[in-house]
Parts: sequence; C-alpha cells; structure tokens
Amino acid sequence: MYRVMIIDDEKMLRNLLKITIKWDALGFQVVGEAASGIEAINIMDEIKPDIVFVDIRMPFMDGIEFSRFAIRQYPRLKIVILTAHDDFEYARQCVGIGVCEYLLKPIDRVAINEILIKLKKQLDEESPEDTEIEIDIEENSVIRKIKKYLINHYADPELNLTSVAMKFGFNASYLSRIFKERTGTSFVDFLNGCRMERAISLAKEDKYMYQIAKKVGIPDPNYFGKCFKKYTGKTYSDFIKK
Amino acid sequence: MRKNIRMIKKHSKWKQWFLELKLKQKVRYLFLLIISIYLIVFFILYSVIIKKNMLNYTLENNWNTMISISNNLNAELNTISHMSQLIMNNKDVISYLKNTEKQELRYAHNAVSVIHDITNVFNNISSVFIFKNDKTYINVSNGITKVNEDIMLQSGWYKEIKDRSGGYVIRINGGGLFTTLQGKPVITLLRVINDLETQKPIGMIAINVSTYMLEQTYKDVNNKYFCYYDNKSNLLSSKVAIEELQNVQFGKEQFNQKTIGNNAILSYYRIPNTPFIITAYEKLSFGKVMSEETGKILFIVTFITILSLIFISLFISRYITTPIERLVQSMDSVKTGWLRRLSLSLPNDEIGDLKDSYNEMLVEINSLINKLLEKEKVIQKAELEVLQEQMKPHFLYNTLETIEYLALTGSKESVYDALHTLGNFYRKFLSKGSKEISIATEISIVKDYLKLQKLRYGDIFEDIYEVEKELLEIYIPKLILQPLVENSLYHGIRLKGEKGIIKISVYSKEDYIYIEVYDNGIGMSEEKLEKIIHEEDHKSFGIKGTMERIKYYYNQEDVFKISSKEGEYTKIYIKIPWNRGI
Repeated sequence: MYRVMIIDDEKMLRNLLKITIKWDALGFQVVGEAASGIEAINIMDEIKPDIVFVDIRMPFMDGIEFSRFAIRQYPRLKIVILTAHDDFEYARQCVGIGVCEYLLKPIDRVAINEILIKLKKQLDEESPEDTEIEIDIEENSVIRKIKKYLINHYADPELNLTSVAMKFGFNASYLSRIFKERTGTSFVDFLNGCRMERAISLAKEDKYMYQIAKKVGIPDPNYFGKCFKKYTGKTYSDFIKK
Repeated sequence: MRKNIRMIKKHSKWKQWFLELKLKQKVRYLFLLIISIYLIVFFILYSVIIKKNMLNYTLENNWNTMISISNNLNAELNTISHMSQLIMNNKDVISYLKNTEKQELRYAHNAVSVIHDITNVFNNISSVFIFKNDKTYINVSNGITKVNEDIMLQSGWYKEIKDRSGGYVIRINGGGLFTTLQGKPVITLLRVINDLETQKPIGMIAINVSTYMLEQTYKDVNNKYFCYYDNKSNLLSSKVAIEELQNVQFGKEQFNQKTIGNNAILSYYRIPNTPFIITAYEKLSFGKVMSEETGKILFIVTFITILSLIFISLFISRYITTPIERLVQSMDSVKTGWLRRLSLSLPNDEIGDLKDSYNEMLVEINSLINKLLEKEKVIQKAELEVLQEQMKPHFLYNTLETIEYLALTGSKESVYDALHTLGNFYRKFLSKGSKEISIATEISIVKDYLKLQKLRYGDIFEDIYEVEKELLEIYIPKLILQPLVENSLYHGIRLKGEKGIIKISVYSKEDYIYIEVYDNGIGMSEEKLEKIIHEEDHKSFGIKGTMERIKYYYNQEDVFKISSKEGEYTKIYIKIPWNRGI
C-alpha cells in the first residue's frame, strides 16, 4: 500500500476525492489531508506520503510554491497537481520543477486511475527507502543545537523535521527518533510548542490571529487556529477574551 | 361644413404636394405660375384698357356716321314733305276737299289723277291718302293698305298733327291708321291741309313711304351694319338678319351705345323730330382691339419676361439647387455609415459655408463616435473581465464538485438546493445579456453567490443585507456588486481564519445611491490598497475594471471609495448618481 495525501483548501473536494476513487483496489491508501500548503508542511513528516495530490489554487501558499518546497525536501515524493483549465499555463511550470503529473479539474476518475497505475509502477520499480544510517556523533550537543535552531527559526513557515534534518545532515526518521529519545517530546511538538508559546505571549498584546499566525511561522490562520486550540485547549478568540 | 372640410383637405393636399417637391421643382412650378399670372394679368389689363379706348373711338366714329345718316333721312323726309306740299296746294285736291255736295266723284277723280301724277316722280311712295274733315278720303296706293278710321276720332292721335298747324308729323304706320297687307311697316307723313284763304283745316294728307327709304340712307356706308328701330324698339330695317338685333331695349339718351351678345356693340341715335332710332352694329374682335404694333410690343415684353424668368431659374438652379443637391448626395454617403469629410468644390457663399459647417460637424461627430467607441470598448472589456472571472471554470467546477460530494453523502434536499442556487446564480448572472439590472437582482446574485461559497468553504462568514426598499427597482450596470463581495471574501475573510461578516448596504444620500460592501476581514495596508485600486495585484477580482465601468457609465470620476484598517475591516462603496425623476 502506497500512502496518499490530499491537499486542497475545500474540504468537500478532499472528501470527494477520497470517496470516489477505489484506492484500496489500486494499492493505495489515503493517509492524510491538509487544507493548505502550510498545514501540509507541518504534518508531512508524520504522514510520510508517497503521493501528494495538491490543488493549485490555495491561499497562503499555492500548489506550485508547495511543490517547489516538497520536491526539494522529499525527492522521492510523487506530486500530482490538480488544476482547473484556466490555470493550465500556470500549471505547466510544475513540469519544470519536477512534478510528475497534472490533472484537470473536474476530476476524471478514469484519468486518476491511469495516473495511479502509472505511479504505482514507478514506485514499485524504485528501490525501497534507504535504511536508517546510524551516525556516530555527539548526539546531545547536536540535539541542543537543533533545539536552539528551532527556537531561533520557528517563524520560518517552511521549517519542519525534514528541512531541519537536511540542514544538520540527518535522516529525518532518525532525527525524529533520537529527538524524542533525548528530549522526551517529539520534534513536531517541540516546534509547535515554541510557536504556540510565542503566540500566547503575542496574544497578550492583542494582536489579530492571522498576524500572530504569520509571526510564529504558520501563515495559514486556519491551521494556526487548529494548533492553538490543540495546544491551549481554547480557541484563539476565547483565549483573547479571557 | 363637410364641403369646407373637403376643401381644406384638398387645400392641404395641394400644399402637401408642393411641400414634397424638390427645391428645383418648386422653383420651376413657381416660375411657371408667375409667368402664367403675369401673362394673364397683362392680357386682361391690356385688353380692358384697349377695349375702353376702342369703345370711345367707335362711339365718336359712329356719332358722326349716324348724324350723317340722320341727315340723309331728314333730306328724304324733306323731299316727301315737299311732295306733300305739291299735293296739298294743288287746285284739284283743294277743290275735292272744299266740295261738299255735287259732282263729288268727278272732283275725287281729278284729285286722284293729280296725286298719281305727282307721286310717280318720287321713289318709295307706297300710298297717299287725302282725308276730308268728315273722314272720307281718296287714295293712291301701290298695293293694298287698310285704313283704321276709328283711330282718327281719338283726340290724342290728332292733336299733335293739328298743333303743328300745317307742319308734318312722321309716324310709323300712321300711328295705327294704316295696316299694310304684307305686314311690312310703312312710314307715314301726316299733316293738316289748311284753306289758303281762311287758314282753317279742310283735311289731312297722309303719305306712306316704304322702309326701303330708310335703307337708302345708309347704303353708301360700308363696313358696319346699320338698322332702324322705331321708338318702341321695333326693328324697322336691317341690312343683315342678326337674331341679337330683334329684341333690343334702348335707353332714353339720345346717343349711347350698349353691348349685345358676347362681343358685339350697338351704338344708337334717336333722330330728333322722328320716331326713328338709327343703330350701328359692330362685332368686337381681338384683332380689332389690338393693333399689330401693340401686339408686337406685347410679344416682346412677354418674351423678355419669360427670358428673364428662365435666366433667374437657371441661376437658382446653377448656384443654389444644384450645389445643394451635390451637397446632399455627398452627405448621403453618411447613410452608408462612412463619416467622411466632403471635398466638393462649392461656391464660396452660404452653401460653401454650409459645407464647411457640415465638415466641422463631421469632425466633431467622428471624434464623439471615437470617444463613444473608446468608452464602449472600456465598458465591454471590463464587463467581459468580470464575466470571464466568474465564467472561469474554476468557480463552476469547484462548486459542481462540491455538489457531487453532497450528492454522494448529503441529503437530497441539500443537493437540490445547491443546484437550484447555482442555476439561479448563472441565470441572473448572465441576465439575458442586458447591460443593466435592478439592484434587487444584483443583490440576489450576490446572495446566491455567497450561498454557494458557504457550501464550498463552510460557515466562515455571515452575510448581512441592509437595503433601502425604494432602491430595489433602480437599475444599475450589472455585476458591479459581485466583484466587491468576492474581493471581501478572498482578500478579507478567508485570510483571517476566523468567522467574519460581509455586510452589503444600499442606501441613498442626497442625489446618490451608495452600494457598500463591508467586511471585517484582515483589512488592507495603504500599499495593498493602492495596488488594488491600480490593479497591480493580479489576484484582485476586477475591482479596477468595475470602477472604470461605473466611471464611463455615469460619466463621473468620483465613483468609489475604499477605506480599510489592517486587521479590522475593509469598506468599499460605489457611489452612483440617482435621477429620481426618471
């Protein structure tokens, strides 16, 4: 089973895609979805998709921008761009940056099936993922460095496990594992914690949510709202009222 | 009344006919009319004057002739008077008259033979009667003459003769004394015969002369018809038989003339001391009225008049109507849609001025048309942009996919509702291609639009409408509200990540209608505001185009205002003039 992630700002369209394609029969499984590129960046390391279906038109970070980022960080990732006809020229750029396929909306199931079959073949032929490489380093000092780096750079919206791992020359899953081992919290929780604490302190200055979201590196206020609620247990507006 | 109306109708028909003529034809008809009137008036005037002169001339002319004829007549009468004297002074006649008893027959015979002898010398004598005082008489006659003796007993009949005491009296048919068998009138000379010694009347002589005598008085005068009438207007003699002459009534004047029939003139003269009226009959003819010379003059004047009218007509045609016609022909090319300047060479007068003015007007019109075309282009381009924005499959496909999902998972009602809304939206959106729609329709487009967007993006905003009811039926350029709302949704609400409000208000203030869209989205910085206004931001939804459209529509610069506070709100209003009267 290959892992599929759907990124689209319209929930119903994500759902439609989920229920209209017989993923199982083709050897796929929808494992995650995101309402924006920003959200996707933040959760991709957990979901670890093999294929991403991404809508080209999204606020905060459009499909192209996301694809540029994703290809840089996940060279094995297969990206399928969903585009309406009027954005076709725009979508062509995707080929240049290494996107596998683009699909015209409204979605044609036959076309998706064909693409999935083709991609499955490609994935089958590719060598399985590199095994974890154990690097013998002074882990504690590296983890400290990484933590410091995160505290300094959490405002970068493209910051995530993979980007940090690349920066420090680690395998992402390895870093994830050792980060949890050494610090007791997951990488994602730590980063999120940095961002939310900052957000809480900014919220006291009576800032608008979307502005705070941008400042703490989650320029999608919807996703920021989700994270904020998860972290504090309250919605942002309730939190401010208090 | 009806007749009047018909006449008016007829009149106006003529007028209509005249007004519909071309200028050239008008001039022609007018000249024709003028020439005709001119000639008619000329001839009438001329003939009236000439006729009058002619009449005066004939009057004088006839006077003289008739006097001379009457002289002839008097001479004739004198001759007959002379003859009567010969008879009444004859011894035998006197003896006959004086004798009362014996040998009457012998005296009578002698007298008759004397009379016979005397009358033979004279012409035209029809009969001679000698009456005694006891009314017995002798006579000498050519033909049979009946005597009506009773009339002599009437005092009036005899008195005049008696009063003349020897002088003669002329009467027609002896004043009723005689009747000729043929019925032809005779002229009777009557006089009393007095005794030479006692100077007492002893009888009366009556001499009847045939009317032939009358004819002899004018037989030498040619070229005119003369005739005699008695004082009771009976025709006595006539050279020719003209019916018109039979019943003529004369005036009391001694000398006058009158017209009889259509073109004849009758001069008459009552000859003094006689019961005769001499008349001269003349036919008037135009040739007589107009001499050759006056005819020539008339012809020349007429000719010159017609010539000058033709000349004027040609002048008008050459310098007025023809240039105008050429001008009109050239102007006609405008009908084919080409507004070209005329390059005719026309005289440098008013018509030339007309051409120049026309050309100037064309330049003006051309520039106006260009402006209009330019304006139309801008409006259409802007309209097209809005349409394209919405007709982009993106909105439609995404909405359709949303509905597909609903169909697979949601209730039937929600699918029906969504499809119904979508259909409504597009129907009103296209609005049969009309350029203007009512505010009510515009609002309902926006309602449908926002309903569909809620379906797509969930309950991320609340839409509020505050519209003054009396403005609902006002027509405005279509699709000027929807772009603003779309802008609010995508650039305001959606980026905020919190539930927002989109408020649409339509209200009037002074002479303007304000269409306002307020949202409490992320607002805009000054920079972004500028960018949106000047359309530098490619993601903005045709706000600039919409504003351009409104500007051109209402020919007004100040049509909208955007105010915003970053993080709090954006408010755009469109301000359009309100003509309440219309």
